[in-house]
This record gives sequence, structure tokens and C-alpha cells, in this order.
Amino acid sequence: MIERQLTLIMENKPGALARVVGLFHQRGYNIDSLHVDPIDDFTQYKFIEDELSIKFSKGEVSRLIIKTTVGDALMRQILRQINKLIEVIAVSDNESTYLKGILRDENLL
Amino acid sequence: MKLAGNDILIQSLINEGVEYIFGYPGGAALHIYDSIFKQKEMQHILVRHEQGATHAADGYARATGKPGVVMVTSGPGATNAITGIATAFMDSIPMIVISGQVQSHLIGTDAFQETDMIGISRPIVKHSFTVDHQSNIAQIVKEAFHIATSGRQGPVVIDIPKDLTNPDDLFDYEYPKEVNIRSYNPPLDPELSQIERVVEAILNANQPVIYAGGGTISSNASKELIELNSYINFPVTNTLMGLGVYPATDDKFLGMLGMHGTFQANMAMHNADLILAIGARFDDRITNTPDKFAPNAQIVHFDVDHSSVSKIIEADIAVFGQVKNSLQAINSLIKERLNDIDNSKIQKWHSQIAEWKNNHGLNHDLYKDKSDSKPILPQAVVQHIYHASKGNAFVTSDVGQHQMFAAQYYHFDEPRKWINSGGLGTMGFGLPSAMGVKLAYPDEEVVCITGEGSIQMCIQELSTCSQYKLPIKIFNINNLSLGMVKQWQDMNYDGRHSSISYEDSLPDFKSLVESYGHIGIKITKNSELRDGIEKAFSIKDKLVFVDVYVDPNEHVYPMLVAPNGSLKDMWLSKGNKT
Repeated sequence: MIERQLTLIMENKPGALARVVGLFHQRGYNIDSLHVDPIDDFTQYKFIEDELSIKFSKGEVSRLIIKTTVGDALMRQILRQINKLIEVIAVSDNESTYLKGILRDENLL
Repeated sequence: MKLAGNDILIQSLINEGVEYIFGYPGGAALHIYDSIFKQKEMQHILVRHEQGATHAADGYARATGKPGVVMVTSGPGATNAITGIATAFMDSIPMIVISGQVQSHLIGTDAFQETDMIGISRPIVKHSFTVDHQSNIAQIVKEAFHIATSGRQGPVVIDIPKDLTNPDDLFDYEYPKEVNIRSYNPPLDPELSQIERVVEAILNANQPVIYAGGGTISSNASKELIELNSYINFPVTNTLMGLGVYPATDDKFLGMLGMHGTFQANMAMHNADLILAIGARFDDRITNTPDKFAPNAQIVHFDVDHSSVSKIIEADIAVFGQVKNSLQAINSLIKERLNDIDNSKIQKWHSQIAEWKNNHGLNHDLYKDKSDSKPILPQAVVQHIYHASKGNAFVTSDVGQHQMFAAQYYHFDEPRKWINSGGLGTMGFGLPSAMGVKLAYPDEEVVCITGEGSIQMCIQELSTCSQYKLPIKIFNINNLSLGMVKQWQDMNYDGRHSSISYEDSLPDFKSLVESYGHIGIKITKNSELRDGIEKAFSIKDKLVFVDVYVDPNEHVYPMLVAPNGSLKDMWLSKGNKT
């Protein structure tokens, strides 16, 4: 059991944050800390725009940083459950990233 | 074209090709119901309780593969729909639930019939939408249908405040032709490299089993599964949710597996060296103790949902994609390798399975005993129903012993014919879901196998059946008690029967259904059983309710030994285990 960090890029829509927080409770995972803010500067995430052929506008997407203390298998399960949320565009842990549902073997976020 | 919010919503459903809306009106949904009144393309089915609406829509969806549509009002209308939404969610059934909401300016004020439907339903929906403006309604409906019917299917809720359906405010309407949700991209085609690995595993297996579940039905992949097995001739078992996806009368079919699975199916899984898990999710009713599950098996898992794979049982080879596409990919590779398939390699395995079946398989001839010296066996009732309906009926069930007997003894040869609440285990599901099936297939035989406990949880829908003239055949396996709970109390609580009996207060079901205008038949003796069931099927234009009094002491076997048991640890009859 070690503390890990998840990064999410998700649509900034009403109720979206509640889906993420609710998922943790529903599946029996614990949140150590949670930080959320709207993304104003997209330079870091230009690769997402390129990959998905979209253009983010200011205030449209948020970044969530969640810390949680779990083992490897559960971490993988949490990542996959979060990836299933319809409004999540990308989610990563230290080793992998789901970008619009497609798994990559590195932390891109 | 300019339309008001209520008409935009209804026109969008028409554009989606919806035939039936199952629902119940109320204050917050009145504008919408006015739009329903003004159109002719869809029929609204007025149920007697919103739970019935969700199960009816669910039955319609399971039988047809098309999403079921539910309309409810705010507050109690919405909360009454919750059990049905959870049922659909657990079994990955496509459903659209539209709930009225109080006017926008009243939200958050504890207004009359206000409840936070989005909040209450959040953990049991695939996704949900709050309508924030009339001009977004069409787009939201389009996205809702897309989400409900793609990837791993599921229910989607649309909550719409009353003021946004006001008939006086007009907006431009055009139904979107395409939908593209930038954050949603369910997998479709598998990776070829994984398919190649699966083919090698298939060619090398000595003791293989195909374990196919409800996802194979959702993906409409029955044909592809049968084709695959025509090349490789593996033994096949189906989950409770998967029954019918592989023909039950095929000689390679082992029956259902799991908690009340057949001896041969559970033994084959336990001793397998290769398990092809297809659209199945290793539910706890399947694995028994996960650490002891199939100790020597290489696990190949086909699923459209990443989070299902390696959740309970670690997969050796994972194939992500629609099961149909994945099986097509396997079939096209296997066809090039037909010369490499050595069927003699698995002959010994087939013989072993035949021996298991011979020693402890289910007895499918119980119905032949017509002696009145013994009470009616519930298993025999299902066997008679199977023969009288020639194995062709759609069969819905409720939850409990009768459900397991139906799953064990009715042989389903086609997918979407067996309609039951597998994941959530919802009592009350059987009758309303049968209504949805009958509306979808009015010329087909639709049977509901239920118990006197379950039927009373949605018995009000007998009234809906008279209103819409739905000639369903209901078989009430009446053991005067909550049979499955009683079985557990017999086995685990020294027979202390806590709160499972209501014998003196049961209604006379025959008179009850007759008061709704249906036909009731009561059967108490073995010698009446066959004629009574055949008579029910001979009546084509009326709902027939057959109340069959069965042995109240019968248990469902086999039954997995828990806790700490593996799949080879089973109770085979009272006091007798492997």
C-alpha cells in the first residue's frame, strides 16, 4: 500500500466532480486528498487536442488531482473505473494513461 | 421547425424510432404527457407503479436488443423507478429513463415532489443528463441513446425541469444526424496480436471450456460463438445471464455454471486448463472463493469493459472489444488453421465430462412421475412448461428457487428468450418484464415463471395486462414461503425459519386474477399438472395465471459450498456433498 496520485482531465460540467467522488465511495476506495481547478493554460495538454482533433476553450475542462493509498491491483481497477466515466477525457497514474478510453503505458498527464 | 420543449423531447424519441414508452404521469411531467397525447407514432403504456414501468422497458430491451424507454414524474415517480434502473444497470441493459423535475427556480428549495434524481440515481446509471435549456434537448436525447446502446450498455437518466417543457416557449428543432462525444470512445475491434495469442491457446488446450455470459447476448454474438465452436468443439457453459446464447440442446452444452450450476459445468470449470470467458464478469455467484477458482486454467477474457477484466480473476490474455467483433476476428483466423485443430486431443476431456454428467447431472425426466402420493416437484412444473411450450417461449422469471429451477430445466436454444434479473436479483421483475416482451412480440408465447413471494411485489401490473390485453402465461410456483431464504435457513441456521412464511394470509390467486378479468387455474396434484399447464397454453387471447402448489420442502441443487469452497465443492442433495 503506497500513496499514489491520479490526474484527471475532464469536462467541466455540473455533476462531473460528484461522479468521481461518488465512484470512490461506491467502490470502497478512499480519497486522501483532492484538488480541482479549471484549466486555463492548455500548452501542457496540446497533445490531447492534437490526438482527439479538438480544441479546448477556457473553462471547458478541469484538472483533478486525487491522492489515494492502495495496492497495485486496486489502483489498476480504480483507473479503469474512472476511465469509464463518460465525462473523463484522460486519466493517469504513475505508469499509465487512458486517453479517451485508449490505454497507454506511460503517465502522459 | 420551431417546437416547444415538451414537443422537442417527444419528437426526438420518435426520431430515435421508439415504439413504446412505459410510464406514469404526474405534475412535473404534465407538459410532456400533453405532447404524448398529441402524437400517434409511439404508444404510451400506463403501468400501475413506476417500478413496473422500468421492468417492462427492461424486458422489452432484453427481448429486442433495442433500448427501453421510461417516463416518470419527479419525486416519488423518480424514486419508484430506482429499483428498475439498478436492475438494468447490473445486467447492462440499454434503457432511457426520463424524469420530470420541479421548475428550475424551485430546485433546491424542497419544493413539492422535488428529489435530486441525478444524485439518487448516480451510482446505478451509465450516465445521466440534466436538461439546462430547451435548445439542448435533442442533442441530449441523441447522446443518451448513443451511450445507452454502445460499449457496455446500460441505463441513462434524463432529468428535465418542468419549465423547460413549457408549451409556450418555442425553439428551433432539428434532430442531430450524428453524435460524437469527445470524451467517450468504447472499444470496438480487438487487437490482432491478442487474437493470435488466443488462437494459439485454443490449439494447445487439452481441457478447455467456453464460459459465455450476458455480454455475448448484448453484443448479438450468438451466431459467431456457435460458428467458433463448430470449428473447435469445446464444451460450453453459460452463466445465468448467458443462457440461450449457445443452444442448450447441443451435445456440447454443459448447462449453467455457478452457485446452482450443473455438476458437470462446475467440475469442467474447476479442472479446465483453458477458460474462454466471453462477455462474462466472474461474478461471485460464478467463482465461489476466487483464490480457489480454476487453479490450473489459463484465462482468456473477452470484454468490452476494461474494468471487468482482471477485477476478480486475473486474465492471462485480455481481449478488449465488442465480443461480436472479437469472435469474428478469431473465426477468420481459426478458419485458416483448420488443419492444425486436433479434435482427438480433447476427446478424453469430453469423456470425463460425460462421466460427470452421467454421475450427477440433472434429472430432466422428473415430470414423467404423475403419482399423487407425493407433492408436486417445482422442477417438474418447469419441465412441463418446457414441453408444453415446445421450448420456444420467451420466459421471464422473478428471483428465488423458481428462477433457478427455470434456469436449470428450461432448455433455451436461442438468445434473448430467457429474461431475468441476474445481477441485482430483483423480486417483482417477472410480470412487468413479461409485459414488455409481449408488447414487442405479440405473436410469440410469453411465459412468466414466478413464486408467490415475488409475484406479490409487482402484482398490481395484472391490471395493466387487462388494459392492454396482454395474454401472458404466468406460472406461480407456490411453496407457501420464501423458498430460497428458507433453503439457506435450513442449511445454515439449523432450520430456524425466520420471517419466511405467510401461509395463512396469501390471497386466493385464482379469484384475484379473475377479478382483473384474467383466467385462473389452481393445481394441487401431480395428476392435474400436465393437463392444467397444457390448458393454459391452449388459451391464446387471455392472460392465464396458473397457481401450482408445490412441495414446500424442496431445495435447489447442486449448490456451491460456501464460504471457502471452490467450484468442485457442491451440495448435491440434502446432506450430501462432493
